[in-house]
Amino acid sequence: MKEITLTIDGQPVRVDGGASVLEAAKALGIEVPSICSHPDLPAYGACRMCVVEIEGVRGFPTACTTPAADGMVVRTESETLRRLRENTLELMMSGHPNACLVCDYRAVCEKHKPTPSKAGTSTRCGLCGNRSECDLREIVLATPGRNLGLPTIYSHKKVERDDPFIERDHNLCILCGLCWRICDKIHGQPAISIVRRGKEARIAASFDRSWVDSGCTFCGACVDICPTGTISDRFAKWHGHPDNKILSTCMLCPEGCSFYEMTENNQVVATRMTGFAAEDRLCALGRFAYPQLLQDRDRINRPLLRESGELIPVSQEEAVDALGAALDGFRDGSFLFLGNDTELRETKHLYRSLATDVLKGKYHFMAAGSGAADLPETIAEKIENGTIRAVLSAGDLLPAELRERLAFLGVIDAFPSALSASADVVLPASILAETTGTFRDAAGTVKGVGPALPAPAHARPEWHWVRDLAQRLGADDWRRYRYAPDVTRTIGDDPAPAPLRTRPRDSVKDALPARFRGHLLADRVPALRAFGLPFTPPEATATEKRGFLIRRKEEIAPNFHSFLVEAPEIARYARPGQFIMVMAAETSERVPFTLTDWDPENGTILFIIEETGRSSRELCALRAGERIAHVSGPLGAPLDLTGANTVALAGGCYGIGAIYPFAKALHKAGKRVFVVLEASSHFLIYFEDELREFCEAIYFTTRDGSMGRRGAVHDVLVELLQSDDKRPDAMAAIGCTLMMQMATEATRPWSDVPLHVALNPIMIDGTGMCGACRVSVGGETSFACVDGPFFDGHEVDWAELASRRGAFVQVEVEAMPQNGTLAAHACRH
Amino acid sequence: MNLFAIRERARAAWAAFALPGHPRILVGAATCGRAAGAMEVKEALAAALGEHGLTDSVPVFEVGCNGLCYAEPLVEVTGRDNRRVLYRNVDARIAARLVESHLVQGEPFMKRALCVVEGNPLEGLPKWAELPMIRPQERIVTRNLGFIDPGEMLHYVNRGGYTGLERALALGPKGTVEEVTRSGLRGRGGAGFPTGLKWGFARKTPTEPKYVICNADEGDPGAFMDRSVLEGDPHAMLEGLLIAGYAVGATVGYIYIRSEYPLAVARLAQAIEDLRAYGLVGENILGSGFAFEIKIKKGAGAFVCGEETALMASIEGHRGMPRAKPPFPAVSGLFAKPTNINNVETLAAVSAILERGADWYTGFGTEKSRGTKTFSLAGQIRRTGLIEVPMGIPLRTIIEDIGGGVDRDKACKAVQTGGPSGGCIPGHLLDLPVDYEHLAEAGSIMGSGGMVVMDEDTCMVKVARYFLSFTEAESCGKCVPCRMGTQHLLRLLDTILAGEAAPGTLEQLRGICETMKCASLCGLGQTAPNPVLTTLRYFEDEYSHYLAGEVRRYRIEAESCEGCRACAIACPTGAITGDRKRPHIIDQEACILCGVCLQSCRYNAVSFVFEEKAAR
Repeated sequence: MKEITLTIDGQPVRVDGGASVLEAAKALGIEVPSICSHPDLPAYGACRMCVVEIEGVRGFPTACTTPAADGMVVRTESETLRRLRENTLELMMSGHPNACLVCDYRAVCEKHKPTPSKAGTSTRCGLCGNRSECDLREIVLATPGRNLGLPTIYSHKKVERDDPFIERDHNLCILCGLCWRICDKIHGQPAISIVRRGKEARIAASFDRSWVDSGCTFCGACVDICPTGTISDRFAKWHGHPDNKILSTCMLCPEGCSFYEMTENNQVVATRMTGFAAEDRLCALGRFAYPQLLQDRDRINRPLLRESGELIPVSQEEAVDALGAALDGFRDGSFLFLGNDTELRETKHLYRSLATDVLKGKYHFMAAGSGAADLPETIAEKIENGTIRAVLSAGDLLPAELRERLAFLGVIDAFPSALSASADVVLPASILAETTGTFRDAAGTVKGVGPALPAPAHARPEWHWVRDLAQRLGADDWRRYRYAPDVTRTIGDDPAPAPLRTRPRDSVKDALPARFRGHLLADRVPALRAFGLPFTPPEATATEKRGFLIRRKEEIAPNFHSFLVEAPEIARYARPGQFIMVMAAETSERVPFTLTDWDPENGTILFIIEETGRSSRELCALRAGERIAHVSGPLGAPLDLTGANTVALAGGCYGIGAIYPFAKALHKAGKRVFVVLEASSHFLIYFEDELREFCEAIYFTTRDGSMGRRGAVHDVLVELLQSDDKRPDAMAAIGCTLMMQMATEATRPWSDVPLHVALNPIMIDGTGMCGACRVSVGGETSFACVDGPFFDGHEVDWAELASRRGAFVQVEVEAMPQNGTLAAHACRH
Repeated sequence: MNLFAIRERARAAWAAFALPGHPRILVGAATCGRAAGAMEVKEALAAALGEHGLTDSVPVFEVGCNGLCYAEPLVEVTGRDNRRVLYRNVDARIAARLVESHLVQGEPFMKRALCVVEGNPLEGLPKWAELPMIRPQERIVTRNLGFIDPGEMLHYVNRGGYTGLERALALGPKGTVEEVTRSGLRGRGGAGFPTGLKWGFARKTPTEPKYVICNADEGDPGAFMDRSVLEGDPHAMLEGLLIAGYAVGATVGYIYIRSEYPLAVARLAQAIEDLRAYGLVGENILGSGFAFEIKIKKGAGAFVCGEETALMASIEGHRGMPRAKPPFPAVSGLFAKPTNINNVETLAAVSAILERGADWYTGFGTEKSRGTKTFSLAGQIRRTGLIEVPMGIPLRTIIEDIGGGVDRDKACKAVQTGGPSGGCIPGHLLDLPVDYEHLAEAGSIMGSGGMVVMDEDTCMVKVARYFLSFTEAESCGKCVPCRMGTQHLLRLLDTILAGEAAPGTLEQLRGICETMKCASLCGLGQTAPNPVLTTLRYFEDEYSHYLAGEVRRYRIEAESCEGCRACAIACPTGAITGDRKRPHIIDQEACILCGVCLQSCRYNAVSFVFEEKAAR
C-alpha cells in the first residue's frame, strides 16, 4: 500500500497507508497507553486509553481506531489527554478490585505474604492468580500518583468453575474484548461473546451454555490473551509467571503441533500457542492436559525387578542387566516389542532395530489413542499359540489374559498399570517434555522436541534404555548413540504416524484420543471427563451420613462464608477466643477456625471461613443441609478480657467474625467496647450490624479509603490510645499476620496496654500433640493451639512466625484441586 | 403498473372512502388510541351500528393518530351531510350515543365533540385548523395521520403519494441529491447532519452494492413520533426510502425497527407487499431501470441499536455494539458496503420535499434549521400529543398554545428535550426558538423529538437520576467511560438524593461527566452526562440543598388540607392516614416519594419540600 507521512508529537513518520495512528506512534517509539489493542487483532476502541488530539478533528479520537492519513498532525501528550487517560483508568479500575494497588502497605504485604491466597474469587490484587502477569496492574503501578479515588463497584458475578481447565471470575473483567475477538479470529465463529448490557455485560457462551457445549475447543487463546485474571488456567494460575519457555512439539497425537512449554523451576506449568493465528491453535490435550500429565504425582520413577514374586526397586544398571539377561533367551523370533506410533523418531528407530536386528523378533507400534484392546488379532493369536513368548511393552498395551501366556514381560512406562504390576522388569520412562529428539507428524514434517526437562527420579528417555539394553545384548556399536542427534543421523525415511480421523484441535467432542501409552487420559487428567473421554470408574464407597449438619451457609462478603453448624457439645462449652478444627470430609486436611458465636440452647455454632486454598474451598463447596465430617473443639485457651474496663477490638478480613464473641461478652459485663474493622475495600466489610449492637463505637478502615478511614486498624488503635476519654486498657487484634504485626509495632509505645493477638501458625491436630504450631513468645517456645491462640503481640517473634507459615507454599499450590467434580459441586449452590 | 394507472385506481379507492352523502366512522387506532381503549370503542361502535341496522351503510375505518393524544380515544363521524365531526375521549358508552345521536338522529353529540374537521360549521365548535393545538402547527411529515387508512396504499397515492418518487426518477440520482441538499433538510434522528450531504457521500463511494437503512429504532423514553408515522402513514417513509435508495444507488433498503412496535411492523409489512404488487419495489421500478428491495429487520429492544454502527452490527447478526468512526457508513457500513442511514422522520420529509420541491420546504423554519420538526409532547402539560412545528418556533408557543400550558396552572420549571442524551431547558428560557443551534446553546439537543414538560414540583436531581438509570442499563458496556461512568454517576446521584453526599461530590460528578463526554466511544456515552450537566447548570441550588444534608419530602399542610381522602386513596403504600374532613399526614417511613399525593390533591395542600434529613 502507498506510504504516507504524518507528524506525531512534532516528529514526522512514514508508514504504510492503512496503518493506524497507534501503529504510527509505535513506529516512532512513542508509547501511547492501550489495553484493548493487540497486534494480532483489528482495532476495537473499548478501553479509550489511547485517546489523542488530531488537528482538524473534533474531540479525542482513539489512536488505535483512527487510520493514519497523509499530512495528519497528531498530539499524544497534553494536559487534557493526561487527565482523560487518568480518569478513564480510574473508571476502569473501579470495575476491577484494586485495593491492593493503592494500599500503603502493598510492598511490605507482598513480601510478607509468601502463601498466595488461592481464592476462588479474586477480591483484590494480592489474591489474584494473574497478579504476576497483569497488564492493568503494570499500567496502574506505572501511573504516578495512582489516583484511584473512585470506590470499587464490585459486580458480584458468579465465579464460573464448572468447565474443565478454564475458570472465570467476571468480577475482574474490564470487557476489553480480547478473548472473544481472538476466539473469532482463530476459529472463525467465536464460541464466546459479550452478553447482556451495561453493568450486566459479561463474556459468555450464547444462552449461558457451558463452554464444553458452546463449540469451544479449549485452545486456551482466551486464557493467554486475557490481560486480567478473568479467564484463567485452573492448573497454572497459582504458579505465578513462568520463568522460561521452550519451543517444542506436542507428541500426544500424530498432529505434532508446535507449541511453547512454559516452565517454572524446570517444570512445565502450561503450554502456549506459538502465535495467535488459526494454524497455531492447540487442542485441549496439548494446551491443558499436557502439563498435568507431566506433573502427575503417580509416576513410575524407579526401575523395578521381580524377585521372589515381588517387584523390588533396583538400580538402572541392575535393571538393564536383568532385562538383557532375560531377553537373551528369546532370540529365536519369539520376541515382540509393543510401542507407540506417536513417539520420538529416535525412540521408534532404536526400538525397531532392537526388535529386528538385535533380537530377530517383531515389533508393532500402536496407533495414537489406542489401548490394549486394540492389539491386532494377528499378534494376539501369535501370543495365544506361543509363537511369541516375550514382550517388551512401552505402556499399558497388552490385555491381561495374554500376559498369562507369556514367558517374559518387560514394561517400560511412565505410569503404573495392572500390566506393569504383573511385569518381570519395569523401567521408568521419560515422556514428552522430558525427552529430546525429533518428531515426524502425520503430514510427514519433522519437528524438534526438547531440550528435555528433568524427569522424575530414575526415569530416562526410552532410547537410552534401549541403547543400553542392546549393548547388554552384544550390540557394541550402539555405543555411538551418545546424544539424540547420533541416532537422528541414522534414521532413514521413516514412516509418518497414521493420522486421527478428526483433528483434536477442531473439536473436543469425539476427536480427542482417549489414551496415552495405553493409559486412559481421563484417569490421569480428570477434567477430560467433561469431554466424554472414557475413564476407569472409581470403586463404589459407601457414603456416610455421619458428621455435623450445616444448618445455614451464606456468602456474607465475596469469598467469606458463614457457617451455622449443629455441634451441641461445642456450643455448650465454648468460651470467647476458642477455636475449632474442621475437616470437610474424612480424607480432608484439619483446619482451625476461630468461633464467632455459639448457642448452647439450639446446639449450634457459627464460624466464618474465607476461601483461600484447597481446604477452605472444600468447605465452602458444602451447602446447607450437607454435613462436615469432623468438627472438634472448643480448642485453645479461652481469653477473658472482662478484667479491663475499656477494650478496643480490632478485626481484619477473616478476623472480623472472630472478635464478635469478645464484644458480646464485654458488653454483657458492662464494659466499654470500641470496634475497629479493616478490609481492603468497602465491599469486603461484613458483620458491622451484628457488632454495632455490642459496642460504643465502630470504626472502619479500608486500604482504598472507600469506607471509613483510609489505612489500617492500627491507625485507629493509636488514636484511641492517645485520646483522653476512649483510651483502652486492653486490646485485641485478629486478622492476617501482617495486620497483627503492624498493630503490634504501632502500639509498642503503649506496651503497658496488652494487645492480644490470635496467632495462626500451621496447625495439625490442635491439641498440643504435633508441635507444628510452635511459636516464640517472650523468648520462649509455646504451642499456639494449647498455650494460645492468644498471646501479647508485643512479645511475639513475628519474623519466625511468618517464615514458618511459608514452609509449604509449593505444596499448597500443587494441592489445588484440578478435578472437575469438586468445582462442579462448588458451583451448584 | 405505471403511476398513471395506479393513480386511476387511487382515485376510485378514495371516492369509495369519502363518498359524498354516505356516512362513515374513523377510529384513531394507533397504539396510543388502542392503549386508551380504541379497540373496545370500535367494537361498541359496531354493536351500536348493528342495533340500528346501519352495519352495511356505515363503514368503520381504523386510522392513525392525528396527534391529539390527550383526547384519545378519538372518533370521527361523518353524517349524510358530509360534515366530519371529531369526538374526544370516547368510551364504549359514548360510542353508542354517538351512533344514536349523530347518525340515527342526525344531531352531533356536542358534549364530546372536539371540532369540525370538514364541512359546514357547527355553532360553538371550532374547525380543525382553528384548534389551539393545531393552529401553530405545520404538518408535513404528519400530513396524512388520522385522515387516511394506513393499510391502503391507494389512499396515500391519492393524496399525492409517490409523486415525489416520480419526480426523483425524472431528476436522476444526482439531481435528487441536489434537491434534498437545497431543501436544507437535516437529519431528524437527533444529530442534525445535512441529509443531502450525507446522501452525496454514499453516492460518491464507488463500491457496490450499496444499502440504505431506515432507522426506526426509536428508543428515547417519552418519544413516539416515528411509531405514529409508521402506524398512521407508512408510505410517507417508504417513499422517502425508495427516493434515498435511488439517489445513492442502493439496491436494498433495510428498515430496522424495534419489535416493541408490532403494529408498525405489521403496517410496514402490508405496505411493502402493496408496493411489490404495484411494482414500486422489485426490478425496473416505474420503468426507470431502478431496482430496489426493502427488508424489515426487527431489533430486540436495545437502546444502543439506535446508534448507526450498532444498528448495522445488529442487522449483520452481531451483538449490537457501536464501533469507532471512521470509516463512516457512507464509505463502509452494512456488510462493509457504502450505506446511508436516515431516520423515519427524515425519510417522511424527503417524500414531501420531492413531491412539492425544495423551495417550498425552505419556506418553513429558519436559515440554518429548515422545515418542520415533530415532537412528542408529554409530561405535566394539559394537551399531550404528537405535534409538528416549523423550526424556530418559540418554546413558549409549544408549551402554552399547543400544549395549553402546564397542568393545574403550575409554573413550568423545565422542558426536557432529546431524551437521555438531551438536557433540561429551564422555565425562564421558554422564549428560546426551537432549532438545532439554540437548543445546543442552552445545553440540550434537538434529539429525535421527545419533549417532556416538568412543573415546579419536579425534583431535577431525580430527573437526572431517572435518565442515568436509563443509560446505565442501556449502555452496551463496550467502552469504559460509558459503562463505568454511568454506574458512578447513578451511584453519586443516589448518595445526593439520600442526603449522604460527601463534600466535593459535584466536582466528582463534573469530572466523570467530562471523561464520558470526551472519551466515550459512541453518542450514547458522550451524551449520557447531559441530563446531569444541564440540571447542574440550571438547578445547582437543588443539588446544594441535598449536599447541605437536606432531603426532599412530601408534606401535607394542615391548614389547606380538607380531609377529602383523595391522597390517602391514591397513595400506593398506604403511607397517608387521617380521618375524613381532618388534616391528613404522611408517614415518611412508608413514603416512596412517588408524588401521587401531590397529583391527586385538589386543594394544593401537598408540597414537596426540602428539610433537614433528621426531621422525619
